[in-house]
Amino acid sequence: MTDSAIATNPTPVVAAAAVSPKLTVRDLHFYYNGFHALKGIDMDIPEKQVTAIIGPSGCGKSTLLRIFNRIYAIYPKLEAKGSIELDGENILDPGYSMNRLRSKVGMVFQKPVPFPMTIFENVAYGIRHHEKLSKADMENRVEQALRSSALWDEVKDKLKQNALGLSGGQQQRLCIARAIALKPEVLLLDEPTSALDPIATGRIEQLVEELKSQFTIVIVTHNMQQAARVSDLTAFMYLGEMIEFDQTEKIFTKPSKKQTEDYITGRFG
Amino acid sequence: MNSPYLRRRITNALAMLLSTLATLVGLAFLAWILWETLRRGISALDLKLFTKITAYGEDGGLANAMVGSLIINFIGIAIATPIGVLAGTWLAEYANRTKLGESIRFLNDILLSAPSIVMGLFVYTIIVLPSTALTHGSTSFSGFAGGVALALIALPVIVRTTDEMLRLVPSTLREAALSLGVPQWKLTLQILIRAARSGIITGVLLALARISGETAPLLFTAFGNNYMAINPIEKMSSLPQIIYQYANDPGDAMHALAWAGAFVITMFVLLLSLGSRLILSRTKVSHD
Repeated sequence: MTDSAIATNPTPVVAAAAVSPKLTVRDLHFYYNGFHALKGIDMDIPEKQVTAIIGPSGCGKSTLLRIFNRIYAIYPKLEAKGSIELDGENILDPGYSMNRLRSKVGMVFQKPVPFPMTIFENVAYGIRHHEKLSKADMENRVEQALRSSALWDEVKDKLKQNALGLSGGQQQRLCIARAIALKPEVLLLDEPTSALDPIATGRIEQLVEELKSQFTIVIVTHNMQQAARVSDLTAFMYLGEMIEFDQTEKIFTKPSKKQTEDYITGRFG
Repeated sequence: MNSPYLRRRITNALAMLLSTLATLVGLAFLAWILWETLRRGISALDLKLFTKITAYGEDGGLANAMVGSLIINFIGIAIATPIGVLAGTWLAEYANRTKLGESIRFLNDILLSAPSIVMGLFVYTIIVLPSTALTHGSTSFSGFAGGVALALIALPVIVRTTDEMLRLVPSTLREAALSLGVPQWKLTLQILIRAARSGIITGVLLALARISGETAPLLFTAFGNNYMAINPIEKMSSLPQIIYQYANDPGDAMHALAWAGAFVITMFVLLLSLGSRLILSRTKVSHD
């Protein structure tokens, strides 16, 4: 790797200038028990678009995603410094209510993790914590969430069955339904298809395409083809730094940094 | 056939042979125990065993000892289960990887292997002696004191299994629930305990199996009683204590009764273990 390839804090590029940023990341640093994992990230994530974060293992892409809903805070000795503004309010401010943040920013994980309860209860569980709904309203909300996650037709006759009986791809769509049932503004997807077969992966990617009209989506993926297929913007990270962040088309056709080019063409190393 | 493959095959066959032998030895002793208790107790295994009390001696049965055992075990499990499940939950969910949590987990492991007679003496000191002094001797040894002694033996078993079962629940399940904004206490009560439910129930059943054969902690606490006692503040008989007492008797008929009692306990423990296996395997199949 040459010195010229090491970029420090590139100017954040907001490709779709007409769209206002939903999340504004400024000088974000992250420490794992003293280890400096993110080194001054700046990034403007536009509203109702799909932003993909790519990079080799250990580059900090999942770490970055896990700061957006502060899920990292459940473990001791982890520390984030800098600011992340969601609609102008800094979510890293200790005064920002965790309850409020997590109702606005939903997350879907690498492996599908349904709760050990019925399909219906899986979706209703989160809603019940934030809102008091009548039985009919709740049934509507659950149906709506399951329809939005393209699962309704497959499960409508077995809502009372245990969710662990669903296939992996169905379980992951159930997790998406569970997250969007809270009507969040941002949806974080942490390698959502890495445990799924190609057909289930295709369905999730199609779903991401459909959901971006309602949500701001940030997806972390190992799979560059996936980033190219589903995202409007792509960020390339390496060793805790944001190397390049631009429109997906530009990243994959004429990246401005040599490191990005090496990575997407598979010449990395 | 070249030599590395041959050697692996031989090693494989040898390991298979040795582990099969070891299994057979273990099973042989189990079968032997069951056979001996049945053979020697068969003459006393009749309806009278379950209907008559020990006051009739060799013409009697073990009814009061069986009822006593059930009551004392019930008291023990009823005390140990809530405390054990809550303490195990605290260890796994609130104090995991903290110094305090590690020390308490270590102390619990010591308690797990503490000699059971020590528990009996401890309860004798903290319950039997004070109640004798307070009531001027009208209440001293009691079924309740026996239950407390057994609870102290069951407690660390339940703490340990609850702790381990909860720590087996993948952390992604915790993250998924917390990322919905659900608070820690709801997550623990409504999701984690449910996910670990079958393991925790198995732990309680194993603790019950463990205490139902205990004799030493009951000698100084429940003491024994030749008559039917239902009220837990009275002296109470129990199967292990009667087996101990009858085994020391010179009469052959008493020995047969003791063997029959031993057979009843062994079958009870066997059925409990089978029951807990059944719970575990059934929940695995249906992913309940």
